[in-house]
Amino acid sequence: MMRPPTVENRPLIGDRGARPLRKAASGSRGTGADSGVRLLRAAAIAVVVGFLATFLILPLAVVFREALRHGWRAYVAAITEPEALAAVRLTLCATVAALLLNTVFGLFAAWCLGKHRFRGRNLLLSLIDLPYAVSPVVAGLLLVMLFGRHSWLGGILAQWGIEIIFAVPGIILATAFVTLPMIARELIPIMEAQGTEEEEAARLLGANGFQIFWHVTLPNIRWALLYGIVLCTARAMGEFGAVSVVSGHIRGSTTTLPLHVEILYNEYRFSAAFAAASLLTIAALVSLISKRVMERAYEQDRRPHKIQSRRKNTP
Amino acid sequence: MRIEIRNLSKTFGGFRALDRVSLTIESGRLAALLGPSGSGKTTLLRIIAGLENPDPGEGAVLFDGRDVIAHSPRQREVGFVFQHYALFRHMTVFENIAFGLRVRRRRLGLSDRAVADRVTSLLRLIQLEQMSHRYPHQLSGGQRQRVALARALAVEPRVLLLDEPFGALDAKVRAQLRAWLRRLHDEIGLTSVFVTHDQDEALELADEVVVMNEGRIEQVGTPEDVYNRPKTAFVTEFVGAVNRFSGRRDGDRIVFGTADAATGNSTPQQRAVVFVRPHEFALSGKAESDGFWAKILRVHAAGARERLWLQAESGEVFTVEPGNGRDLPRDWTLGSRIFVRPQHFRSFPEEDPLIGAAG
Repeated sequence: MMRPPTVENRPLIGDRGARPLRKAASGSRGTGADSGVRLLRAAAIAVVVGFLATFLILPLAVVFREALRHGWRAYVAAITEPEALAAVRLTLCATVAALLLNTVFGLFAAWCLGKHRFRGRNLLLSLIDLPYAVSPVVAGLLLVMLFGRHSWLGGILAQWGIEIIFAVPGIILATAFVTLPMIARELIPIMEAQGTEEEEAARLLGANGFQIFWHVTLPNIRWALLYGIVLCTARAMGEFGAVSVVSGHIRGSTTTLPLHVEILYNEYRFSAAFAAASLLTIAALVSLISKRVMERAYEQDRRPHKIQSRRKNTP
Repeated sequence: MRIEIRNLSKTFGGFRALDRVSLTIESGRLAALLGPSGSGKTTLLRIIAGLENPDPGEGAVLFDGRDVIAHSPRQREVGFVFQHYALFRHMTVFENIAFGLRVRRRRLGLSDRAVADRVTSLLRLIQLEQMSHRYPHQLSGGQRQRVALARALAVEPRVLLLDEPFGALDAKVRAQLRAWLRRLHDEIGLTSVFVTHDQDEALELADEVVVMNEGRIEQVGTPEDVYNRPKTAFVTEFVGAVNRFSGRRDGDRIVFGTADAATGNSTPQQRAVVFVRPHEFALSGKAESDGFWAKILRVHAAGARERLWLQAESGEVFTVEPGNGRDLPRDWTLGSRIFVRPQHFRSFPEEDPLIGAAG
């Protein structure tokens, strides 16, 4: 009797796309017919590694080599000069402020959009993504138009002595704008997946609004929230375009770390520029590692209620 | 506590989930809301709990005679068990059960010690004392279900509401938990309402079955009532296995199963649907009165009861479970004819609008 062909003994021709993955997953030993596939896989890996080395690892190495070209002493001097410290301080300040704004906004937005259905919800979801779509430079220009000296709003604020553009508030606004979706975007899908049943259960058990948020909603999204905060921090510290437009490049006062790097570079002070750049690079590496660590914990929260049955059912 | 529902309606968008529903559940009873999906049973349960508001109007929900429509879920003191349990995933079994006591500890004046004692006694009740430090994802479905129940009972509710309590469990666990829940109910004597689409579950477990369809209550009665004395075509079809024939009213007789009943030359007023349960037929090798001939299509004889698939002259295929082997003539073969006599049947006029919605 003829047996229907199974996946294992199906001829290889025309199946090259699916085959290498299966092999890699099952770890079984390749036969003669597989050698072509293995060659292809090796080539693909080589291409990817080569690409990563050229575009990521090499530049990373260059940053640190250039930063340390004139020795440790010069490096330390470059990052402790007053202007550099001011830039670090401003960067941290803008990052923390943007983070606070976006955490509050992200929690509210995710709660509204993730746990409720209402008219206009899809429009809001698209609007949240706007900062991703708009070029940061355009975002900066928008802020200048809105709050600049010659604008209506800027004029009123100036009468009260409040400066936005070419001052710290503008930098915070620009940073917050470009990182606006980052936390909300992490929280919405997980809140959607978790549904509202746990909150309802808590309410029926007598918890008030704050208790529900603090004991049920927040713990369920803590990893997603932290993950979003890490992503937001990384992006906020590195922001250049929007901040560059609103900053005015006043040395020691409205230059963030990325702007500071640019200024030094334009003045041909390469070593100092790379020293400052190395700080941003280190920050990026730290967030990369914490992101990696968090991803695993995060996965656990993402699981909805319905699909958890690992054990055999025994009452 | 006695639950009374008066004239309740609920509309979602354009969909009428509940249509002027009234119902009374006496204190200490275990009632089942039975119906197909979309019949409004879960909506009704959620309105009783206060998780959903009924359409504004004359509708009322009364607990022991007091209207609680304006009360929030926190004030209603109901225990609720969700279909997928809704256990707090980042809390242990112990913390889950203690939650309701802890959030209102100040109001109740409970010490840590008192909370722990109460949780421990509940853990004993659900036989999960060893599991108190596990997290929900480390438990089986049946165990999670029992934790959800203990959590609901911890706050000493006045009513226990369960939404498809066994829906997500496999058949064996389901049967065990059913028996356990019934014993538990008899022990605590709490007025309980559960939602189910499984008629066996409703018939086996409940004191009172409320059959719902398309936002209305079709019948309320004991399991025996709704099974043996269904009031509508829908209840007949939904509760228990049943064969459905189209026939016609001929004076004070109902004619079905024969070719002339199905020709359709009867007037609309005469048309009827007739329901006969598989065990309500008597079989015979020769013609008798009050019956019709049918062809044997298939016989299943491997179980405790034989089951036959027959085809009437009118073309309708139906199943018969004869009470014992004697009914079936010895010399039967597939395709041979047999005389079928329904000993019991129910008929409803065909223009009954509920028939088309049976499911």
